[in-house]
Amino acid sequence: MARVELNVNLNRVEGDLELALSLEDGVVVEARTVGTLYRGFEQILVGRSPRDALVLTPRVCGICGTAHLYTAVLALEHAWRVPVPANATRIRNVCLIAEGIQNDLRQTFLFFAPDFRNARYRDRPWFAAAEAEFAPFSGRVHRETLAITRRVVEVVAHFGGQWPHSSYMVPGGVTSPADARRLLACRTIFAEVREWYERIVIGAPLDEWLALDSAAGYFEWLERPAHAASALGLVSRCARDLGLQRMAAGTPHMISFGAWCDPANWDAPHSARLMPGGFYDGDTGCIAELDQALINEHVRHSWFRPYSGGRHPWQGETIPDYQPGSDRYTWAKAPRYADKVVQTGPLAELLIGGDALIADLYATEGGNAWLRQFARVRRIAYELVQAERHLHELAEHLGEPHIVNPAKNAEIDGEGYGLIMAARGALGHWLRIRDGVIEKYQIVTPTAWNASPRDSAGLPGHWEQSLVGLSVADPDDPVEIGHVIRSHDPCLVCTVHMLETGKRWRFLP
Amino acid sequence: MPHIVCFGNPLHGDDGFGAAVYTRLSETPLPDGWRVFDAGTSGLNALWLFRDCGEAIIVDSLAPGAEPGRLRELTAGDVLAEAAPVGHGGGVGYLLQALQAMPEPPPRVRIVAVESADVSAFRPGLSAPVAAAVAPAVALIRSYIGAGDD
Repeated sequence: MARVELNVNLNRVEGDLELALSLEDGVVVEARTVGTLYRGFEQILVGRSPRDALVLTPRVCGICGTAHLYTAVLALEHAWRVPVPANATRIRNVCLIAEGIQNDLRQTFLFFAPDFRNARYRDRPWFAAAEAEFAPFSGRVHRETLAITRRVVEVVAHFGGQWPHSSYMVPGGVTSPADARRLLACRTIFAEVREWYERIVIGAPLDEWLALDSAAGYFEWLERPAHAASALGLVSRCARDLGLQRMAAGTPHMISFGAWCDPANWDAPHSARLMPGGFYDGDTGCIAELDQALINEHVRHSWFRPYSGGRHPWQGETIPDYQPGSDRYTWAKAPRYADKVVQTGPLAELLIGGDALIADLYATEGGNAWLRQFARVRRIAYELVQAERHLHELAEHLGEPHIVNPAKNAEIDGEGYGLIMAARGALGHWLRIRDGVIEKYQIVTPTAWNASPRDSAGLPGHWEQSLVGLSVADPDDPVEIGHVIRSHDPCLVCTVHMLETGKRWRFLP
Repeated sequence: MPHIVCFGNPLHGDDGFGAAVYTRLSETPLPDGWRVFDAGTSGLNALWLFRDCGEAIIVDSLAPGAEPGRLRELTAGDVLAEAAPVGHGGGVGYLLQALQAMPEPPPRVRIVAVESADVSAFRPGLSAPVAAAVAPAVALIRSYIGAGDD
């Protein structure tokens, strides 16, 4: 619903996320992430045909439905040990990339960058430029982002018929092949996106940008006129002038499931990725191979039926148990990796995946709000390269199958999981099939990792950690909170509540 | 190509008005060229529904007003953008501003809206006055598009 002249509100009925913060002398001393909306997909799926997951789970989110569909189909294929033709994986990856680029551009230039126009920054030397580029609907970059992100998701529509909420990935492949018409259309779209990304976002050719491999090199590059005048250059100058590179590190531990299933090597155990995943141990700086068995979820501070410790999704349960007035405060669970609090997202993806520039920036300055957003924009370069590669390979293998339907007797009882790097980070689905129907389905989203509440040991989640210590100059206009939370790409409309001396401030991002 | 785009969430009380109108409109033929869409709670994602669209009718519910069930005919200019437009969902006000910012000329937009009686999360079903406004809204829209009575 919208607001009209008569004080009527046209906002949709939502408001799924709140932050409860305590401040002392203007500094955040405690933060709680409150998920105010119960999701319930785990219950909806129980007792249904396994293939129903392909229709239902893309509805978890209107921004990353392709990622949920991809994850669900991988979980089914894992349970049924179904092989997948290389062309199907190529098409899936191309669509996931389109959805990811849509998200990353909107998140950066429609949601994150407009905060630099806050009236408090009026005297900054970059303020006029931020106004000219990022002002909603009048800023050049804002307007062009609206147009280019509407364009890029047409890629998904070419293969899936619609975006979002499509269901074109099925066990054994995808429903539509890559023909010459679709390939030409998708190549055209990605070419437009690449041209715009090079000209407007980074101010340089893609190869030159990807060749940057050191913090010192980037800071020198940031002074070059072409990049300084670009959208990312402006974001970096604004953010770094405000000190976002020293703000909101959060947990040092990171997780990535690895980006893009490898079309040529997508067979059991279904773990080959074009960009490797893993667990980055923030204490040692080492990257360990990912072991999904080490993932568990805690509910000690969540409104679910209590159980002790953490449980792996195959042993987990999602039974709502609203307990107002207790020390439980959210409908979100607390996912952990080996009982460690971790963060996920583009920063984790590129750091673990081996991007030299991100690794050096992280080594130089540590995790921070600017670097998270910076990594989100840099990831688009890899996505564009992969999209072009996949489309080229599809053209070379045009006559090969896009689906091999599994035999009916292949649809057996058992357990399976699917792991994907969605736009916001590590997304996992785990299911168990018994007597031909879904007995258990557990979804762990990227935002669940980042926005998790405290766990059984009392350890705050990543957002909660990243907010503690943050100075808030004006509680009536806590723009610092906006910078930090939006650098994490919150999945849902975020409303921040700050609790101090009995007064409640409401901050709408 | 002219489009009718209905917004709303039938799980949230009178916010389901747009979906109810969509259902009625989709049950009977429309004049050549007219297409009707159930946009649900889409924000920016609904931009696609206005592409190559010279004329659009938006159907939505308004926050509870003085006269629940009263139909209001608005223009895009009547609908102010939300005070806080940012978020992945956005809202119809944000969407209307985005349409103006697209490179191509925006469609001519009419809005058919109803004053709600009650918009409550996860309480399906329209209130009596808003349910009674569905048929008049459909008739109004059909008169706009020259479809006559259904």
